[in-house]
Amino acid sequence: MQEDNTAIERFVLIELMRLNGVILGLVLGSLFGCGIFIATIILLVKGGDVVGPHLALLGQFFIGYRVTFAGSIIGFLYGMGLGFVVGYMIAGLYNWMANFREKRSLRNK
Amino acid sequence: MGNKDTRQFVIIGAGPAGLTAAYELLKYEVGATVLEQYDKVGGLARTENYRGYHFDMGGHRFFTKSEPVNQMWHEVLGDDFLRRPRLSRIFYQDKFFFYPLKTLNALSGLGVWQAVLIILSFIRWQIFPYKKEETFEQWVTNRFGKRLFEIFFKTYTEKVWGIPCSELKAEWAAQRIKNLSLKTALLSTIVKPGNSITTLIEEFHYPRYGPGMLWGEVKNQIEKREGKVLLNSPVTRIHRTGNRIDSVVISQNGSSEQTITGTHFISSMPISEFVKKLDYVPADVLEAAQKLRYRDFLTVCLIVNKMELFPDNWIYIHSPEVHVGRIQNFKNWSPEMVPDSSKTSLGMEYFCTEGDELWNMPDHDLIELGKRELGRIGLAKAGDVVDGCVFRVSKAYPIYDAEYAGYLKTIRDFVDGLENLQTVGRNGLHRYNNQDHSMITGTLAVRNLMFGEKNDLWSVNVDSEYHEEIQHQGKEKPADTLKEKITHSFPRLDPVALGFSLGATAGLLIFAATLLLVMHGGVTIGPHLALLSNFVPGFTVTLGGSVVGMLGLFVLGFFFGSIFAYLRNLAVFIGARVLHRDIELYHLRRLFDFI
Repeated sequence: MQEDNTAIERFVLIELMRLNGVILGLVLGSLFGCGIFIATIILLVKGGDVVGPHLALLGQFFIGYRVTFAGSIIGFLYGMGLGFVVGYMIAGLYNWMANFREKRSLRNK
Repeated sequence: MGNKDTRQFVIIGAGPAGLTAAYELLKYEVGATVLEQYDKVGGLARTENYRGYHFDMGGHRFFTKSEPVNQMWHEVLGDDFLRRPRLSRIFYQDKFFFYPLKTLNALSGLGVWQAVLIILSFIRWQIFPYKKEETFEQWVTNRFGKRLFEIFFKTYTEKVWGIPCSELKAEWAAQRIKNLSLKTALLSTIVKPGNSITTLIEEFHYPRYGPGMLWGEVKNQIEKREGKVLLNSPVTRIHRTGNRIDSVVISQNGSSEQTITGTHFISSMPISEFVKKLDYVPADVLEAAQKLRYRDFLTVCLIVNKMELFPDNWIYIHSPEVHVGRIQNFKNWSPEMVPDSSKTSLGMEYFCTEGDELWNMPDHDLIELGKRELGRIGLAKAGDVVDGCVFRVSKAYPIYDAEYAGYLKTIRDFVDGLENLQTVGRNGLHRYNNQDHSMITGTLAVRNLMFGEKNDLWSVNVDSEYHEEIQHQGKEKPADTLKEKITHSFPRLDPVALGFSLGATAGLLIFAATLLLVMHGGVTIGPHLALLSNFVPGFTVTLGGSVVGMLGLFVLGFFFGSIFAYLRNLAVFIGARVLHRDIELYHLRRLFDFI
């Protein structure tokens, strides 16, 4: 039971991390949603003849989205939703691949 | 009405481990007979008395991370448990240096040229360290550089141990600085952020009249209830039948012998002595016992006709020109250690080996030596010393020399086979631990013998986070819980897995986005998304292009995900290494606290 302190590698970076899908989804969703909301509001405040012509292209994917105040809310909701799905998917795929590789490495030992 | 417990415990040694074991037995209303060779209790933590002056043998600060130990101290001492400020310095080259070491203070005290050489030496040893750290010298040099090692660590450590640092095992330093393990260092900053690692820095608790006051009171409590404490009763023989100890023979007051029988035995006597006194010990075990080494010390106690001398509790004397290793100022430990407030009592500690020249020197000559060296250091004039006495402490420190581990294993393998015996304490385990650690081994020994628990006393750790696990009747293994915590705090991101997941997700997103636009139709389809072809050659906003985009983004995503994971792991590793190094240096600056 004597602790072996000879190498840092023995204690750190041994176990593979697992990602929590819900947490990652919520984090990415919040980031995307807030990002779209803030970007829309900034363009609205900036104003001009044509407001946010490029950001408006998001309307091709986010039906109902426009560069308006109401659109910023819609964009926020779409961003949350998409971000959550993306985050959840990344976590799920990561965990699946990590498990697969860990099992293979244990089999090979 | 239950049957009285018929178990009879015999405890060898009335030091912290032995007395704590007997105290623990009080809880279960089981009596014990404690056998002590000296005329007072306390063992290595005893307090000697001369003309009303109290002298703590070795200087024992009362600090622990173990709540049960802390509770016991407060329970026994009550208001006699004082809180005392701590100050100690290093004396070297006729100058005082702060302790714990402070970089600027140390460098400025040594002079500019020496400071430059120290810095160059430090850099050299950071770049080209010893590859293996087997000795104390190598261990400290790798962390501080050779020059600083030679100035601040070599002379004092060799004074203490009497052997070259090149023969002292690195394990001794690492074991003494328990929290130096990366596990505990990381845990204490991550699991409980803001908690400092073991500190004995600014203040400590202390019994009014020294540690002997605590142990004397514990003795009283043992004797008021089921127990007996026999002083002046050294064990001369230990009898066994097969794997069970039957009895011990004690010599009372140097003349008569008495046999003490028991059902269970706890021994805190030096394990080498235990083996030599035991019946029928295999030759290889006896030989191993002969080879275990100890360091002893003697304290020249001086009563000085001065109300105040210096503010330190103690001073480390690194100067090689004097023999004295440490000077205690007992008045600064507790004013009540000194009956006459116009005087000060000092303890000049000389590290030596039983039977060597210093050990055998007549007391009068030692007192004169102490007075001369006190004057040489400049802390007081020899003429101000009005009285003195000498106390010797045998087997104060087990030595971790090059071969001790093998000998100890041989002895341990044999002793572990004695089913009704537990060895405890610093000398019972040949392990250079502190008072609270010894107390814990006493408590656990009782639980092992009373309840069949399997606490491993040889690797008890005083860190309270883990001690709580030990207390749960050995159901959780501290090492496993530690590993679980540390690996949850610093896990590794798998670069391939992260690359795959990011690549797959990005690829699928682009595939879906392209298809959506294709289905949407129009005169010009996806002119902006088509710009992706700058990064993904062959991508177009068409059905075929969506597949190309998916593959292209998979590759890009895989690349970025893998790089991200790799860099993150590297950053964690570097961060952990830096943290480890910081904690090491933090403790190394306080290394002498543990000697």
